[in-house]
Amino acid sequence: MTIYSFYIFDRHCECIYIKQWHERERAGAAIRPTTSASTTSPIPDKRVSAGGKQITETDISMRNGRLSVQDDAKLIFGVVFSLRNMVRKLSTPDDNFISYRTNNYKLHYYETPTNLKFVMITDVKTNNLRVVLHQIYVNLYVEYVIARNLYVLMLNNYIAVEHSGGEGVACELFELGLESFVVRTLKLIELTT
Amino acid sequence: MSFYFVIIGTKDNPLYEAEFGTWKQGGDGVARFRDEQRHLNQFIAHSSLDLLEELQWAGTGGSMYLKCIERFAGTAGGGSGGVVGVAGGVNGAGAGGVWVSVFLTAGNIKFVLLHDTRADEPIRQFFYDVYELYTKTLMNPFYSVDMEVRSAVFDGRVRAGVKKYL
Amino acid sequence: MSATKAARMGEEVWKTRIDKVNAELVTLTYGSIVAQLCKDYEGDYLEVNKQLDKMGYNIGLRLIEDYLAKTAPQRCVNFRETAEMIARVGFKIFLNITPTVANWTSDNKQFSLVFEENPLGDFVELPDDGRAQNELWYSNLLCGVLRGALEMVQMQVDAHFVSDTLRGNETTEMRVSLVRYIDDELPQSED
Repeated sequence: MTIYSFYIFDRHCECIYIKQWHERERAGAAIRPTTSASTTSPIPDKRVSAGGKQITETDISMRNGRLSVQDDAKLIFGVVFSLRNMVRKLSTPDDNFISYRTNNYKLHYYETPTNLKFVMITDVKTNNLRVVLHQIYVNLYVEYVIARNLYVLMLNNYIAVEHSGGEGVACELFELGLESFVVRTLKLIELTT
Repeated sequence: MSFYFVIIGTKDNPLYEAEFGTWKQGGDGVARFRDEQRHLNQFIAHSSLDLLEELQWAGTGGSMYLKCIERFAGTAGGGSGGVVGVAGGVNGAGAGGVWVSVFLTAGNIKFVLLHDTRADEPIRQFFYDVYELYTKTLMNPFYSVDMEVRSAVFDGRVRAGVKKYL
Repeated sequence: MSATKAARMGEEVWKTRIDKVNAELVTLTYGSIVAQLCKDYEGDYLEVNKQLDKMGYNIGLRLIEDYLAKTAPQRCVNFRETAEMIARVGFKIFLNITPTVANWTSDNKQFSLVFEENPLGDFVELPDDGRAQNELWYSNLLCGVLRGALEMVQMQVDAHFVSDTLRGNETTEMRVSLVRYIDDELPQSED
């Protein structure tokens, strides 16, 4: 039972937070996504459209043929967005897409009424983590990110309204909280399965 | 029985003034001051501030603060801060003295009441009543300390307090 | 969710899940904000109203997440339900007041919130310069809050005060009208 990565997307279709735990290479560092061209690449990344899934290979960062983190995020957003719309069209608008599973991984999805999307990618054996995502929203995101932004709000005279480009989300308290929460939840799930 | 009431700010500026007559014993609530007396009222009120300040700083630490009762020669004291009575003579037209009672708030605002008969307890209650009204005025964000109190509501309530106690 | 259920939920959340703060502290803080704005804009009360609305808007954008986290509601099916939730749960948990919802238009797109008590305006008397009484909406922050919060849940509304006890009217009433439902944003595509 392992968690591979975790993403938060806001209602403007931007990725505002990415966290990757290594099954792969790099250490589990939280990355702040940039919406403009990645700084390591001289060629601007192509954006992924919602319908078709273009995979850009202009990523330079490390692996050959592997996507950069930002492209990963865009791809995931595209998938999630299209699936959600499809689900809503096929059944009632209340119905919600919860998760999908492939041979290698399982993707869990939770969306708040404010169109904030939480996505978690784990291995195939995990049970549904929708509740976990809800907990992350309620206990971590609201408390640390929203409250902190209120503080920033008053200092900067009402600018920086939303998290453009993920600014302000990756604060320490949120990160620490997320880490410890995930570790705790993993242990709990391992014990019960 | 007539009263002259004034609230004096930290810079010795008057914030609020009013004249009343007594409501007790069939009085009709209208102040009856002789004309010269009117001018003298303000003068007496201001001169009493000197004595008040002496008393304010003369006491040992905390003596002017809550729940202290002091008695001075010929004067009555009571309640929070000092209540000072000064018998002042009015020359010219004869007739008796004027008593001055003063209530000092924690923010160094003075409530001064001039009256011709002593009545400690009702005056003390009246002062406390006005003190409450004054703190409510202070809570108004548009009112700053040492500003004149112009509110008609405040005026109405002070007059109601007079009716009740004096 | 019916009105009584909403009221019960509001009461329950208020009792259990909310940290409380001294009401006078909120009143005095808000009062100094308004007084300072009035001084800064030198009596241009229309501009003060606009600034209060802007501040409220920014607060509302964030407050809605807090609200959703604390109440975990189901989606409101229509605007009437939204109004009930705002009045009985929203205002209850954040200000501990319950305004009444009234004056629905026939197309159910506008309603009024009537406030019997307004904790923001305790002890306040508007300045006496003749214009404040006619131009300043003291609690205009609340209009911005509603506007910002509802925009985050895909509703564009317009909220403004129509009467205020601080101005000498009999009631404090805010009119809220639904402009439109906002569609989901599509991600940009560069091809």
